[in-house]
Amino acid sequence: MTESKERLPAQRTWMVVLQKVGTPIASVALAIIVGSLIMWVSGYDPMAAYAALFQGAFGSPKAIGETILRATPLILTGLAVGYGFRAGLFNIGAEGQLFMGGLMAAWLGVEMAGQPWGVTVPAIIVASALAGAAWAFIPAILKARVGAHEVITTMMFSYIARYLVSWLVAGPFKAPGPTPASPMLGLSAQLPRIQDLFSESTLAALPFLGLGRAHTGIVLALLAAVGVWFILKYTTLGYENRAVGFNLGASETAGISVQRTIVKALCISGALAGLAGAVEVVGLHHRIFDQFSAGLGFTGIAVALLAKNNPFGIIPAALLFGALSAGSGTMQLVAGVPQKIILIIQALVIFFVGAEQIVLWFVTRRQKEAISGAE
Amino acid sequence: MLSDVITPDLFAAAVRIATPIALAAIGGTICERSGVVNIALEGIMLTGAFFGTAVVLATGSPWLGVLMAVVAGVVVSAIHAAGSINLRMDQIVSGTAINLLALGVTGFLMELWYGHPGTTEPIPLLPPVFNFPTPAGGALAEVWRWVDTVFLSYTPIVYMAIIIAIVAQWAVYRTRWGLRLRALGEHPRAVDTAGVSVYRGRWVAVLMSGALAGLAGANLSIEQVGVFQENFTNGRGFIALAANIFGRWTPIGSYLASLLFGFADALQIKLQPFRDVVNIPPQFFMMLPYVLTVIVLAGVMGRAVGPAAVGEPYEKG
Repeated sequence: MTESKERLPAQRTWMVVLQKVGTPIASVALAIIVGSLIMWVSGYDPMAAYAALFQGAFGSPKAIGETILRATPLILTGLAVGYGFRAGLFNIGAEGQLFMGGLMAAWLGVEMAGQPWGVTVPAIIVASALAGAAWAFIPAILKARVGAHEVITTMMFSYIARYLVSWLVAGPFKAPGPTPASPMLGLSAQLPRIQDLFSESTLAALPFLGLGRAHTGIVLALLAAVGVWFILKYTTLGYENRAVGFNLGASETAGISVQRTIVKALCISGALAGLAGAVEVVGLHHRIFDQFSAGLGFTGIAVALLAKNNPFGIIPAALLFGALSAGSGTMQLVAGVPQKIILIIQALVIFFVGAEQIVLWFVTRRQKEAISGAE
Repeated sequence: MLSDVITPDLFAAAVRIATPIALAAIGGTICERSGVVNIALEGIMLTGAFFGTAVVLATGSPWLGVLMAVVAGVVVSAIHAAGSINLRMDQIVSGTAINLLALGVTGFLMELWYGHPGTTEPIPLLPPVFNFPTPAGGALAEVWRWVDTVFLSYTPIVYMAIIIAIVAQWAVYRTRWGLRLRALGEHPRAVDTAGVSVYRGRWVAVLMSGALAGLAGANLSIEQVGVFQENFTNGRGFIALAANIFGRWTPIGSYLASLLFGFADALQIKLQPFRDVVNIPPQFFMMLPYVLTVIVLAGVMGRAVGPAAVGEPYEKG
């Protein structure tokens, strides 16, 4: 008994660490295990599938670049959903705000053709954040004023945004040619690829810099993470955001305007999602079309939940989902497993992170085993 | 022009389009009355539609497909029940996971079983229940045309939905089960104190909503579209939640609210041929149901109050 008492403080910190990092890691592990069971039952070889996935996500500098590329918008949508969560809001429609951000980026990029890069790109970034915020504004007002649930309204707005984009790229904003897409952006409206920042001789000497399609939008995403962390930790805005999310009634009593906080929170969330749309357009596609986002807003929900809404936790969480997405192509090619398995794994991660109890049960049981094994 | 738009088909289309939304909305009503929010209706509907279609493709029997859709709906909703009731998960998180899972599983199995993504082979549709001959000519024939089209032209699940709305209304307000259900959503502690299991009551409600959403999926694939298409529920589950709110958390209210959405959608389809005259792009018509949902929610909220304990996990005392 005395022995276990001595162990207590250490054990407590161990538990805190476990709760913070252990649950997400265990959730991912569980999801991957269930994923392999599904593959196995379906007649695929899970080991071969994961090996191919790993190869496709990390096997070469180019593959790593692809992972970074896919993680870039996910950091931003993860931050968007996470910032809303911190205020107790579920921005399930980040996808719609992302579409509006992307639309603004493409439109402004075309309109500002001929202007210098140093003017165009910052203008695009600011304007698409505003576009995302504007798209979240009506659901935000409706939530604050009449209590209309943001899950339904932001979802509806994301359908509206998609139809709007689908009309524009097939009609008024269509580039000449058979495909329904906007005109291509010029170089002055593009974020450069990381490998293009280096000379060919540098790339030859340092091959790990040949990151393929990965672009400098990742810097913007990382800066956004720092920004959100700073807002949440050091500003009144962030304090009120957290207070409302933590205890709405007490915040109101303490004199915080809950209505205003809700509107600000959803608009900032929308702005971050809008930025995600902008980096996809300015950094990757250089134009906008119907299917330019394969559910990046929804994956953002998984990213935020996995990171427990911590702005820095969102970076590794986004890299994980970025890797899954980057590797899924190779997986389908080599092991024949349909890429949709990634969606299943994502859903399982959300479920397991949400159901901490299952995971904690696994973790604490293993910990007990470890302790009894040590004795 | 007006006589081209206001036709019996318009009303019949409204009822048909309303049916899957109404079934899911009634499921949402029952579920929320018990204190559990179910945003997984969307995914449950999709899963029901998929497995229903798969069984029809395998057996050729539409009725077996309908049965399978309901079973699939119940199975998927059991995940939501376990998560939100026993594991006390955030109910929206659990619902989001299920919606994604439904997209993933249906897409994965689509490729595994049929070798391609997108759309399945067409399946035989359930035929309309009645098939009366059309009398020739006269004013009476015109009246008959209206009666026949607006009331007697539907497939079985459309009638089932109407019956379910009425029976559910009766059950929620006039039976012991209904009283307990409503108490579960208002004051679960009181139900627990009275010696009735909160968990069991909520489980039953969630599974019922799953069965109804599954049936909605069957209606969509086996009665309306005749194929399964990836993600073809297109937000109907979320519109159903709005219809439930607009219907003030009552089964018949949910049905009537869905009818409003159905009518708006039918009207926009009917108006599409005229869009060249006024030059409005089709996407604007397709946005209408979603815009209407937001307007309806904005108008009704603040005046409509849901169950007091909805969304809160219950911890046994």
